[in-house]
Amino acid sequence: MQSKVYLGIDVGSVSTNVVASNASGEVLGTLYLKTQGQPILAIQQGIKEISALIPQDAEIVGVGTTGSGRMLAAAIVGADVVKNEITAHATATLRCVPGTRTILEIGGQDSKIIILNHGVVTDFAMNTVCAAGTGSFLDRQASRLGIPIEELGQLALNAKTPTRIAGRCAVFAESDMVHKQQVGHSTSDIVAGLCEALVRNYLNNVAKGKGIVSPVVFQGGVAANVGIRRAFEEALGLPVHVPEHYSVMGALGACYLAEQIKTVSTFRGFDVADADCQATGVSCTGCGNNCEVVQFSLNGEIVAFWGDRCGKYGHNRVVASN
Amino acid sequence: MVTIGVPRALLYYIYFPMWQRFLTDLGCKVVLSPPTNERILNLGTQATVDEVCAPVKVAFGHVLDLADKVDYVFVPRLVSVEPRAYICPKLMGLPDMVKHSGNKMPELLSPDVDLSRGKMSIARALSEARHTLGKSVWPTLRAFYLSLGENHKVEQRLMSGLTPEEAFHGTAWRRTPGVRMKVAVLGHPYNVYDPVLSMSLIEQLRRSGVDVVTAEMLPQHKIDVGLQGLSKELFWTLSKKVLGAGLYFVKTPREVDGIIVLSSFGCGLESLIADLLERNARRSEFPFMHLIGDEHSGEAGVVTRVEAFIDMVKGRSEHASNISSHGNLQHRPTSTT
Repeated sequence: MQSKVYLGIDVGSVSTNVVASNASGEVLGTLYLKTQGQPILAIQQGIKEISALIPQDAEIVGVGTTGSGRMLAAAIVGADVVKNEITAHATATLRCVPGTRTILEIGGQDSKIIILNHGVVTDFAMNTVCAAGTGSFLDRQASRLGIPIEELGQLALNAKTPTRIAGRCAVFAESDMVHKQQVGHSTSDIVAGLCEALVRNYLNNVAKGKGIVSPVVFQGGVAANVGIRRAFEEALGLPVHVPEHYSVMGALGACYLAEQIKTVSTFRGFDVADADCQATGVSCTGCGNNCEVVQFSLNGEIVAFWGDRCGKYGHNRVVASN
Repeated sequence: MVTIGVPRALLYYIYFPMWQRFLTDLGCKVVLSPPTNERILNLGTQATVDEVCAPVKVAFGHVLDLADKVDYVFVPRLVSVEPRAYICPKLMGLPDMVKHSGNKMPELLSPDVDLSRGKMSIARALSEARHTLGKSVWPTLRAFYLSLGENHKVEQRLMSGLTPEEAFHGTAWRRTPGVRMKVAVLGHPYNVYDPVLSMSLIEQLRRSGVDVVTAEMLPQHKIDVGLQGLSKELFWTLSKKVLGAGLYFVKTPREVDGIIVLSSFGCGLESLIADLLERNARRSEFPFMHLIGDEHSGEAGVVTRVEAFIDMVKGRSEHASNISSHGNLQHRPTSTT
């Protein structure tokens, strides 16, 4: 018998993640790829690689997309469900860690907090003004210090006396770190201070005023950083759980959301990995808005439009086409 | 015939019917600037000082848009429209900012109205307008008295759920069938109804099958209910309405399923009001979201948050039909009939 498989794709600013799960919700394979400013290539690469991780005779019965590039991903693969990141993350976490009350999620350029009660989202927030508390900032600081990002967390754990780093703003944090270096603090103390600053910034800006209740789950790419995790535990005075698939929870949530569809999947097939995908920006001159409309074509055929405010092009929007 | 340009910005969303009647009765031709678009936003941001909020920049853009099409641009300086309450100082400063921006600027018709100092300020404002336009006393007074009733005429349409734009210009929106929820969108009217500053928030909600209610669609007595019990009377006219409406919805939770507050980055008034509302909403476990806008043109951030908010409200109401917010199974009284 053919096995039924669901696909979830999360296209974020930094990483593009793909997850495949079977009918009983078990994860068959996960991929964490760098988007590197080329989401189309990353999505195609992800589709190609995931096909190797699932059974040969598998039938794709549902595809979900999420993340800031969810429209693009949906157009490429022919998705059945297109969902925002909050709902996707909450869905995945509730399945993996039932009873979760708080989700701390820190990704490449977004960070969010989701408050749950009895398995229902009751409140959420995303970062507003600044990306100081997110993964790309950590990435940048790690490369400035010449430390591979993977080792940053371990280094922070070795610190004896973490220094205080200004965490409100990425620019201030950086100049503060340079200053602490020049004064002679050890790198591990500075990195530990950076972790604390990031957590402080997150709790003050994103989680501002929200009641954080145990069980707390920490996910997103930054959850790989044990230094941040410990800083969270210390700041909250609560244990912080990092789930197994922490870095691809959005994609996993998209997978689970795809399970809810009742119709035949509109998935275009794995061939799209080699298809000629073209997204062209068109500046509409119909009115003073000058919308930057994106026209998306697959093998020379226009399949979707988005980016127009008035809906003039949106009528031709064929996200799900056979 | 003298043509007068009215910028479709700031207090236009409150007073336009009155202004239009007054100016038309005086024998002027009223030219309204188009709904805000990227071009107007760009015009405004390039001409203004950095400190002001995006709505003032947008208003500046509208003034510039009208500049070479009209004889005068109407930018009244409303200091106060009721005793012991004021309009935001950044809004008051607009006529001066326009005059002193260094750009080639249109002639302004900008009477001062300050009712905190008594009703005489109306007489002075009328006399100023009259002299600029070269009109005599009686026609001016007559036009003014006739204009006073204009805002009441649109009230009915506002109360029926139309936005000021729809109420003023007689357009209507078609309700999406199968509406399952109602969300309050609160904020200063020049943010909430501006298609660029709000990133078409109301449109987006309505398209998603959500009914929208705003402070302007609420009768005054409900806003007064909301304001009851505040430890101190607010002295900002525009924020009073936002806070009153918000607190009313929190006090009578059956009226809407959630509240979205939309404010501008750098708005001092809203930074207090939104926080006050958020605390009250949270205490009552009421779905609440605060969106802060600026000069962004990328809608993605707003779209994601609004979608998530709709999902949250849906999830909560589906859940609440089974279990109360306190976690116990809801007690269903057995029917005795």
